Amino acid sequence: MSKVYITGLGLITSIGNDVASATRSLRELRHGFEVHPLSDRTGVLIHVVGTVKDFQVDSTDPEDWVFPKKYTVKREVLRGLGPNALFAYCAMLQAIEDARLAPADISNPQTGLYAASGGSPFLTHHLHERMQKIGVMRCSPLGIVASIAGTLNFNLVAHFKILGASCGFSSACASSLHALGFACEEIRTGRQQRMFVVGAEDCNTDSIMPFAGMRALSLQSDPNLASRPFDVARDGFVGTGGGAVVVLESEAEVARRGVTPYAEIAGWGQASDGYNVAISHPDGVGLHLAMKLALKDSGCAPEDIDYVNAHATSTTIGDASEARALKAIFTNPSTRPAISSTKALTGHGLSLSGAMETAFCAIALRDGFMPGSAHISQLDPACDGLNIIRATLPARPHVVLNNSSGFGGANVCAVLKRAN
Amino acid sequence: MPDLVHHSPGSNGSSKQPFPAPGKPFSPEDEAALTEALKRCSPATVEAAVKFRKTGDPALVPAVVIGIIERFVEPDQRAKLREADDDVRIIDDLGIDSLTMMEIVMLVEDTLQMSINNDELRHLRTLGDIKTFIDCKIRGLPPPKPSRFLPIEHIAMVMPVQPPFLFLNEATVGANGASAKYKITGEEFFLKGHFKDNPVMPASIMLEALGQLAVLFLLEGGHGEEGKQADPKTIYFTGCEGVRAHRVCKPGDTLSLAIKPKRLKMPLATFEGQVRVGQEKAAFAEEITLTFGLRDIVVAPESAAAPAAPVASPVVSPAAPAAAARSITPAAAVSAPVA
Repeated sequence: MSKVYITGLGLITSIGNDVASATRSLRELRHGFEVHPLSDRTGVLIHVVGTVKDFQVDSTDPEDWVFPKKYTVKREVLRGLGPNALFAYCAMLQAIEDARLAPADISNPQTGLYAASGGSPFLTHHLHERMQKIGVMRCSPLGIVASIAGTLNFNLVAHFKILGASCGFSSACASSLHALGFACEEIRTGRQQRMFVVGAEDCNTDSIMPFAGMRALSLQSDPNLASRPFDVARDGFVGTGGGAVVVLESEAEVARRGVTPYAEIAGWGQASDGYNVAISHPDGVGLHLAMKLALKDSGCAPEDIDYVNAHATSTTIGDASEARALKAIFTNPSTRPAISSTKALTGHGLSLSGAMETAFCAIALRDGFMPGSAHISQLDPACDGLNIIRATLPARPHVVLNNSSGFGGANVCAVLKRAN
Repeated sequence: MPDLVHHSPGSNGSSKQPFPAPGKPFSPEDEAALTEALKRCSPATVEAAVKFRKTGDPALVPAVVIGIIERFVEPDQRAKLREADDDVRIIDDLGIDSLTMMEIVMLVEDTLQMSINNDELRHLRTLGDIKTFIDCKIRGLPPPKPSRFLPIEHIAMVMPVQPPFLFLNEATVGANGASAKYKITGEEFFLKGHFKDNPVMPASIMLEALGQLAVLFLLEGGHGEEGKQADPKTIYFTGCEGVRAHRVCKPGDTLSLAIKPKRLKMPLATFEGQVRVGQEKAAFAEEITLTFGLRDIVVAPESAAAPAAPVASPVVSPAAPAAAARSITPAAAVSAPVA
């Protein structure tokens, strides 16, 4: 079974539009929030958003969009993209450069792409409204591919001429970690030599606001208080969008190309709560099992883990449930790993979060630090016994664990190791 | 990629009505909406569109249509469009796909206040096709018979000339002319001796290829009298005038052949012909004249024609099965590989 390495990253996130700036934000605990009111017909409800900077993508016509000049996107490509796919496209270009991939490394039957996104509800909304008002024959011919949930894989596979495995994953906030897990399997079994794992989401009223309907969003207007996972006074998550691309390669490809990987993906696991469509199991049974399976798959013991990038989104129920699952895994008080949720800085990226936080873990392993869990003023007593770090630790972890949980009680956990 | 043009449901409006629609004044609000819709077109295009909507002058239509196509062509291809003649193919030469073609049509419909249904859209292959089609619609005339794409199987079936002396790989035949491609493979028997260690396509063969395209036009263009068509057994070369060769053509080159009828009256048909390689002129003939006779159209029995349908490719018009039915002998129609 081949080992799997992370050899390239691409990031368009609220805390930075490249690896270097996101790394700085993680180290220095700089959040990516802005006061950016979102309203429904009753008025402004949501005040804080993890905005994506330097991208003006609030028009339904992609030719109106403004984004950094270094990304050139042809009109025929642009017209099939939603905002999420544009973020992903730009992150993809970064990841290709970061991994030093030549065109022949990208377009061959041994290279595939797995992606995850909730689609673009913003464009779906526009398309349906126009269809009813003006008629479907006056709607963009690419309205469908730009807006439905598979938009990332449709677009990226076509434009980057991917010839290997490709599909989309749909398990809400666990999606892109599912994509990563199955991409690992493709490489481990030798069916693929290289996989792009992509997560991306829009960052607008249509993608974020509906979560207020289930009372999952923070109503705070202070960007320093809105996202505070594990704090006793947390009141919901802060929405964000962006794009993240993780390049995975086999041992043989790493050796052939002579590249230095960020990290190894040692294993992964998944399990489900079988409990509620939207609420995590109070004891985190699915997440607990996912972590156990990931540890087993990677041949690691709980004592080997130095750092956990928690899923914790800053919701009351979710964070408490994850805390219980973590306590059930890390029972030895003398070897407790450092735990933080980087969503305190980025906000919750939904389908983006698994790939984005895997990238953060890879950065932590390569650059030798563990980002702190920001914005905690009073730790939730439910976290007693866990080593939730409030400041960045300058120590280099050996093995880290990354969690993601999605609707329906889907839980995924990946174990990453130092590459050398 | 699904072929959306081919499969999307029928017409989105009547196409019979002359334009602009009578009795609807062009308000300042209309002008603002038009200018907004054309915001990514050149100022000249916007100006022509506004003027058209005020006057209904059909002379303005080509400028509007070309201006709208230009807006959808990638910037590096726009020079090609400006230099293009009417034979330039929208998909093959300008890199516009069938989805972009739909975007173009939507904007043309909005701008000229007309509707083009999917069936009509499918036949528009060249810039000339589009210009003629829209001009006819504006004037309230029936659109010309659409040009048809003929694959090699079809060409070989109808032509009296056969390999290894057939120099057409594919052809498009319309009401006002025909175009074709021929790729010089290097395997042509005469290249062994023309010349020694230096294979060059003989200019006489290029002229022959133009002559063959003219024969195809006579056979497939539907120009005979009622119930009659050109008889392939009666077509012969009679003469040519004003032939000039401009470029040496070698193996690997693809010849783009085009002919246009100048005079067509039994028993003589005279054509102008030109050969290009990419954008470069290769050969030109002011006049190529053929002699031809007519024969009765043989209609194949229904059951024989039926296996020829359906037509898979969107560029082959629904007229293709009918063409098979019209072919030389009933035996040929039975074995007609149309799709």
